[in-house]
Amino acid sequence: MRDHEHSNIAGLLGVALLAALVLASRPAVAHIVDGSATGGFLGGFAHPLFGLDHVVAMVAVGLWGAFLGPPAIWLLPITFPMVMAVGGAIAILGVPVPGVEIGIASSAIVLGGMIALAARPPLAIAALIVGAFAIFHGHAHGAELPPGTDAVAFSVGFVMATGLLHLAGIAFGLLTRWPAGRIGVRVAGVGITLVGAMFLSKAI
Amino acid sequence: MSGLLQAFVDGLLNPLTTPAHALTLIALALLLARQPQRFVVLLIFALALAAGFLAIVLAVETTPARTVLLAVAAALGAMVAAAWTPKLLAWLLAAIAGAALALDSPPQAVTIADAYATLGGTTLGACAMLIVVAVIAGHAKADWQRLGVRIVGSWIAASAILVLAVQLR
Repeated sequence: MRDHEHSNIAGLLGVALLAALVLASRPAVAHIVDGSATGGFLGGFAHPLFGLDHVVAMVAVGLWGAFLGPPAIWLLPITFPMVMAVGGAIAILGVPVPGVEIGIASSAIVLGGMIALAARPPLAIAALIVGAFAIFHGHAHGAELPPGTDAVAFSVGFVMATGLLHLAGIAFGLLTRWPAGRIGVRVAGVGITLVGAMFLSKAI
Repeated sequence: MSGLLQAFVDGLLNPLTTPAHALTLIALALLLARQPQRFVVLLIFALALAAGFLAIVLAVETTPARTVLLAVAAALGAMVAAAWTPKLLAWLLAAIAGAALALDSPPQAVTIADAYATLGGTTLGACAMLIVVAVIAGHAKADWQRLGVRIVGSWIAASAILVLAVQLR
């Protein structure tokens, strides 16, 4: 049953990673932010990829989901974007959230730590932790929505890039099927924690 | 290309080239694919679209149709993500989506004939896009494919929530 679920998820990830490769194959124009839908999409897609703290935290969400197994493995990539969007909406509406950068750096430390320690809290607790950090990530990106872009295209690109980072983390996390893979994933958790600590030291 | 044909093609491509319209139509199509009575949802959408266009013909003034459309996209996306598809709510949202999409697509044509051609093109384009995406999503039978549909739903909901905030700012 578990193998069957893993093969299903692997198929989904294959499609998602292919999409990511296609979408990321034009980095030279990824920084363009103009009023067109194409420019808006590319600008939004590139946005999450240029912040290492954001990238490692998003990958960590996928990694942890894979570590926790079903239903967390599919629940997190479905719920995270929506909670993150609420954080983004809060920022766009001008509602301040204190300590956003500290929150983002802490997300890498906590999520990386959870992976490194192979922590398996109840699903509700895991979802609460991830959801709380999603607000910080969403707020940071919502506050940086460039004026003059096609907002819909920018948002679609931004959300897709974030989702694909999760799926990349899940793909890596599927290595936990093997003993050596579990060690590799836990080592990656340590690395994510260290990156988070580096950003936290800058933020404080 | 004659002016009339150009106006029709402009209308036909409108649902594809306007991101807010495409987002809503894809979300509705994903929901449609999970409905037992797909034809009813499609009919409700088409009738609401026609009613919206009738309102444009009757010179209804500027409406907050774009904002309503994005709110509907957010709701539809969340429903797809949650795999929660109550029949009556789906019908209601299909009706609102159709009317809002029409009211957000006023033709820019110079002549009355061109305007009607544009409206006809938009009706055909929107319904065709809805059917094509719903048929494709309807073929998603495997677990990972259904999960993929739910993930796309969550992405649509998230995008629509962000843009709604921009609109309401």
